[in-house]
Amino acid sequence: MDRRQALKNVAFLMGGAISATTFGILFESFTPADNERNHVSFSASEEEILAEFADIIIPTSASSAGAKAAGLGTFIPMMIRECYPANMQDIFAKGLIEMDDKCIKEYNKNFLSLSVAERQKVVTDLKDQCIADKKAPSFFLIARDLTILGYYSSEIGCTQAREYLLIPGRYDGSAEYKPGQKAWATN
Amino acid sequence: MNINTNLKEQNTYDAIVVGSGISGGWAAKELTEKGLRVLMLERGMNIEHIKDYDSAMKNPWDFQHAGKMTEEQKRTHPVQIRDYPYNEPTEKWWVNDLECPYTEDKRFDWYRGFHVGGKSLMWGRQSYRFSDHNFEDNAKDGHGNDWPIRYKDISPWYDYAEKFVGISGQAENWPLLPDGEFLPPMDLNCVEKSVKERIEKHYNRSRILTIGRTANLTVPHNGRGSCQYRNLCSRGCPFGAYFSTQSSTLPAAMATKKLTVRPYSIVNHIIYDKDTKKAKGVMVIDAETNETMEFYAKIVFVNGSTLGSTFILLNSTSDAHPEGMGNASGQLGHNLMDHHFRCGAEGTAEGFEDKYTYGRRANGIYIPRYQNVGNDKRDYLRGFGYQGGASRGSWHKEVAELAFGDNFKQTMSLPADSWSMGLGGFGEMLPYYENKVYIDHTKKDKWGQPVLAIDCETKDNEAKMREDMMYDAAEMLEASGIKNVKTYDNDYYPGMAIHEMGTARMGNDPKTSVLNKWNQMHEVNNVFVTDGSCMPSIACQNPSLTFMALTARACDYAVKELKKGNI
Repeated sequence: MDRRQALKNVAFLMGGAISATTFGILFESFTPADNERNHVSFSASEEEILAEFADIIIPTSASSAGAKAAGLGTFIPMMIRECYPANMQDIFAKGLIEMDDKCIKEYNKNFLSLSVAERQKVVTDLKDQCIADKKAPSFFLIARDLTILGYYSSEIGCTQAREYLLIPGRYDGSAEYKPGQKAWATN
Repeated sequence: MNINTNLKEQNTYDAIVVGSGISGGWAAKELTEKGLRVLMLERGMNIEHIKDYDSAMKNPWDFQHAGKMTEEQKRTHPVQIRDYPYNEPTEKWWVNDLECPYTEDKRFDWYRGFHVGGKSLMWGRQSYRFSDHNFEDNAKDGHGNDWPIRYKDISPWYDYAEKFVGISGQAENWPLLPDGEFLPPMDLNCVEKSVKERIEKHYNRSRILTIGRTANLTVPHNGRGSCQYRNLCSRGCPFGAYFSTQSSTLPAAMATKKLTVRPYSIVNHIIYDKDTKKAKGVMVIDAETNETMEFYAKIVFVNGSTLGSTFILLNSTSDAHPEGMGNASGQLGHNLMDHHFRCGAEGTAEGFEDKYTYGRRANGIYIPRYQNVGNDKRDYLRGFGYQGGASRGSWHKEVAELAFGDNFKQTMSLPADSWSMGLGGFGEMLPYYENKVYIDHTKKDKWGQPVLAIDCETKDNEAKMREDMMYDAAEMLEASGIKNVKTYDNDYYPGMAIHEMGTARMGNDPKTSVLNKWNQMHEVNNVFVTDGSCMPSIACQNPSLTFMALTARACDYAVKELKKGNI
């Protein structure tokens, strides 16, 4: 098997949707300084915000539960603390606070108090800003990456949104594809 | 005074095998099956077949970090983290770089598996024979020394190894890639079949594309189960469906009841007896207790992986061998090679939207070398082959930038609109004397041993070859109707292919080689070296099958010589 497939496959399955920032940190070579773990920490309400944020990125649909149900509220902060360098942890943590501040400024309510439609508007604004900033590392960029990564490696993502087989037992390279048939969860 | 007169006897065997990986496991099997009492020394921990494959049956959601590395793991594995094989599921099986440092005079990514089974647990399983074209190259163009064997010498041993291992593949009657003793081939998928047909037609069968020849079983074999198409081989296979020390050679050796395996046993040097002019045995450092001890044997097989073995030989100095054991030629440590890769081309295959895959094939396609063959003349020497394949992932080019929400999720949950097809080249690196390793006495590892310094780089021939590796791939894909073809070169540094070879080469002339045509050390006739370090050149084919064949052949010779009283 092509050796690069092993690495590329995950990004492949994420639809090429993961940013270069996250790709560089999680997929490629990178030597961190000592003791950068747990450079920041997240409160229970911040984990709640992250769960709701993730649910805007990947919501519940008819066929499958969304990112909140898939546990992204705890997955995202854990990955930030354990897998990201200190400076990225800072960018993320500050950006999370700034998002909540933005909600209060624009709606007089914090993120958790907004309706789904209002939250979608806030996230859209962050997305537009991110594109304008040429996808420089930001809270939105990293949180979205981790939502996609976390969701599509979760049990809900693999078995409800996509199809998953622990032991396929055979290989058919010319199988019929039925329109609307879900993607395989792993490669 | 209480003298343990039994200790020397307890520590004496017929043969010692240093290392338990792809070639070490074979040496242990062959020597025990021929009746010898064998001690196999492995510097790392034990890993038991199936029982210790902790991650083999885990689902993606069973990994805390979704397969990614933590900062702590990256800190203790600064070299292993540089490339793909080191990930959350397999992280215990790659060396702790901080405990086992080495010196890079030039960047060299040294991937090491320090445990029973070595890299045979995590290897890529692609298994191709060399042909006379490869064995003759050194003599023809003057790079490196002449191989002391030709295809007819090794062919019966390729047969022998393949029959035991179980290699699935398709016979192609292609002289440069001799066919083997194959189990039924895995299937090409619909895109690959189309590309194969179109390439072979376009080039009038002066190039072929075939299914990978892999050490995965497509049918049950020798009591081992067949591949279940999970594509998780490097975690260890609960079905024993790919070749490893654990699944194959170790059980065979254990069945003889003549094998003792000692993990946590770092061989520091081979003990030389100046009176008999033979190796007496080895000195070992216990990796857990730091205790030193000696083991004795009539013959020693050195299978510690290319650079591990050469380190031991360089470190085995004495009055008779001031520059390292077997180094009268001055070649020990020199002529280090690795396959250069990470360049090629990929594109989109349209027209296959009504097809998908079922199952996850742990194998790809192979295009054997066709350059500098017959009328095909290049501006560089030797050549390259391609690995690769087609797949239908979930890359959706129509998704808006940084999209999110319900529509985004729907799209992400479906396969991509089109398939993609890629070809990645594996190129031969010439043997250069200046590409070398030596011992760096200014640094120490965790056990107080000096470390290896590595000085290796690609040169002009490799650089020119890489251009063709990209452009030929693009040309072939375009000729096959693949669209949006893009070439890539993701930068290669020596060591990345994990095919490092050379530094203790075979040859007929003791003045220019370390080993003779039987992998026997010219100067110390009871020492045999049959891992990657013995190779005078590396061709472009994956090498492990050749290590297995050379090992079985050398064991056969060694035992015959022992019985004749010659060693």
